[in-house]
Amino acid sequence: MTKNSSRREFVKRSAALVAGSIVLPQIIPSSVLGMGGRTAPSDRLVMGAIGTGSQGMSNMRDFLDLKDAVRFVAVCDVDSVHLAGAKRTVDGANKSNDCRTYGDFREFLAKEKLDAVSIALPDHWHGIIYSEAANRKMNVYGEKPICRTINDGKTIVKAVKDNNIIWQTGSWQRSEANFHRGAELAVNGRVGKIKYIEVGLPDGGNNIGTPPVMDVPPQLNWEMWLGPALKVPYRGVSHWDWRWILDYSGGQLTDWAGHHIDIANWGAGLEHTGPSEISGSGIYPAEGLYNVPVEYDFLCKYANGIEMRVANAARLKHGMGTVWQGDLGWIHVDRGNRISASDPAILNEVIGENEIHLYKSENHWQNFVDCVRSGKPAIAPVEVAYRAISVGLLGEIAMTTGQTIKWDPDKEEIIGNPAASKLLSRPYRKPWTLPTV
Amino acid sequence: MKRKYIILIVLAGLFGIFSSCKKETGFNTLIITGQNNHNWQVSSPLLKQILDETGLFTSEIMKTPATGGDMNTFNPDFSKYKLVVIDYNGDSWNEKTNKAFVDYVSNGGGVVIYHAANNSFPAWKEYNEMTGLGGWGDRNEKSGPYVYYKAGQLVTDTSAGIGGTHGKRREFMVVSRKADHPITKGLPARWLHGTDELYSLLRGPALNMEVLATAFADSAKGGGTMRDEPMLMTIAYGKGRIFHTAMGHADEGGGPAMQCAGFIITLQRGAEWAVTGNVTQPVPFDFPTAAGVVLRPDFKEVTVDEAIKNIGSYEIGKSTKNLTCLQYHIRKLAGDQAGLLNLEKQMVTVLESSDATTEGKKLLLRELSWMGTSFCQPAINKLSSVEELKDEAAFALERLK
Repeated sequence: MTKNSSRREFVKRSAALVAGSIVLPQIIPSSVLGMGGRTAPSDRLVMGAIGTGSQGMSNMRDFLDLKDAVRFVAVCDVDSVHLAGAKRTVDGANKSNDCRTYGDFREFLAKEKLDAVSIALPDHWHGIIYSEAANRKMNVYGEKPICRTINDGKTIVKAVKDNNIIWQTGSWQRSEANFHRGAELAVNGRVGKIKYIEVGLPDGGNNIGTPPVMDVPPQLNWEMWLGPALKVPYRGVSHWDWRWILDYSGGQLTDWAGHHIDIANWGAGLEHTGPSEISGSGIYPAEGLYNVPVEYDFLCKYANGIEMRVANAARLKHGMGTVWQGDLGWIHVDRGNRISASDPAILNEVIGENEIHLYKSENHWQNFVDCVRSGKPAIAPVEVAYRAISVGLLGEIAMTTGQTIKWDPDKEEIIGNPAASKLLSRPYRKPWTLPTV
Repeated sequence: MKRKYIILIVLAGLFGIFSSCKKETGFNTLIITGQNNHNWQVSSPLLKQILDETGLFTSEIMKTPATGGDMNTFNPDFSKYKLVVIDYNGDSWNEKTNKAFVDYVSNGGGVVIYHAANNSFPAWKEYNEMTGLGGWGDRNEKSGPYVYYKAGQLVTDTSAGIGGTHGKRREFMVVSRKADHPITKGLPARWLHGTDELYSLLRGPALNMEVLATAFADSAKGGGTMRDEPMLMTIAYGKGRIFHTAMGHADEGGGPAMQCAGFIITLQRGAEWAVTGNVTQPVPFDFPTAAGVVLRPDFKEVTVDEAIKNIGSYEIGKSTKNLTCLQYHIRKLAGDQAGLLNLEKQMVTVLESSDATTEGKKLLLRELSWMGTSFCQPAINKLSSVEELKDEAAFALERLK
């Protein structure tokens, strides 16, 4: 693609994409015209990636699959083997050898001038790195759950808003037809007034017992991997399996909150609020390095009377996925393009012109690219992601304390429970601090 | 004066009422054994220990004559007991004893059928109605249907075939089928059981029987029917309640099947339910989950006081059971300031102990960071200057401030 022809093609392509994928009264992306205070990005978004493990690489491939939409130029990881693999992928895509590599995100953010960065890291790093990237005015595709604690989440939301960047959460189910359809039917009252929501997530985990201290693999910067988390010796667990350890994750519950709870909120109009009361219990492994709850079951009550039960799927009639139960019936959605309803006729309902049309995206990564170009919000914006994970994190606090938690979703505070309130944040190990916005 | 007496009488009456409401304990329990194709010499004392450990039961073991012996000498007085546990698979009892047992159950006596006890007495109709399902002993379609779960549905299958089999011994996943039954309430939906025989193809009258939990007999894992086979059952017989566990094959020392905390706790809960129809025992912290088998090699639940002391000797690589126990009790004491302070004081004692390990103190500092009060702060302040504990101390103090 030559430089002269490409701009015209880009405008055409963007317009087609917008027409095809976003149901909003909009024709030409403002960024292309240099409006809205934004500079038109180059033909292909210039991107970098922080965190190039399994999810980071999966996202990178999804971006590269978009064909000429992005060009990665820099990658960052604390594991040199991951880093080398990411560079190979990028160089292969670029047919060059000039992908820049970093072992420290601070250097990456200081040196790189990018349109966007794709970030996929263990949750305990999200607070610092999402906020720092936003402070550098980089647009971010960030993995869910967006935070390990509510306090981290608040900081990230503020950083993204104050810096006016485009944010896309890796809650890709929003860009799948069945989830969109189910949510749109629910939000338009096709099961009547929604009274009750059930969210089924995986139970889990496995068990590696209590491994001894091991040598850190030479390719891994363990100190940097731990970052703000408490220092512990390496015991053979870092990539991927961090999700079974409470220092870094809340387990399957928080891992999946950004999916099925996010979808539940979407279809029930709860995207910008939170529950007012949370109670429930978890079942924890009796021993072992992995200490996240294996099973969990909690109930969230909302000010508008809706109740949402979140539990491991084995406890629920519909199993995995999201069920919206209204006074006229129910709709269930799950992965594998599944959608069902108490009455199949519900699924054939047409959404009228004057009803609510939920944001439509057919490709989660393309949607991000489009929005970076247009300056429009992406389909999974930051506050919505924060509200989804908040449900999981408040459930975690209810289970940890064994208490019913009263939550003020406007002030974003726990009411009248100083001990539980302490669990809204995890102190950072020196010298790390949560960036100020 | 008269009024005083009236008050006293009323008070005495109230006291009587309250006393009768008190949780009953010390249920007299009879464990019958003496013949079995399984190692009853090991299992029966362990069953006694498991039941007595709860404080709810006072058990005694009664042995029948050995195989071929004179069964006319075996005449237990069932009326002395609230619960009869059958760890027996052998010669028929005498008719009088059979009748006495049927009367005992019909009139509301509790029964636990343990593992191979469901092999016993294939020809005794009433006994088979009490076990619901049985195996071996030439059982076949005349004994009753197979009962199992298939694709999430309970199946009663009258097809012809043998009763009772099991594949290679292995760990297997037990799946709860009745989350709201007193015995299974609060238990995980799925939990991994210690290596055991996975009884399969059990068949019997299956009258008034509820299947509480099943296990999938996966043929790929050492032979299996590819059915979800019943593992825990309840049966109503007359006024009596029967709890039937198909698990718990005894090796020396009990082995993983009997040491499995899931076996132990479901037996304790099932036994209480058989006597009272309710379960008052809380689900302990060490009930296994889908993530792994949990064994109790000494058949005991660690107390929170012991657990806190034990944390003082924690080192990386050792069991974290004591920490899980502490966390469980912190949750259980939610809202009980005095109870939590009592735990906090014990935790501080370990923090201040020069014998306690650094790793143990780290674990305690993490817990104190959110549940601690001003009581623990001086002790934590002191640890701020200890090089290997300063991060955890700072973590705790930042939250506590």
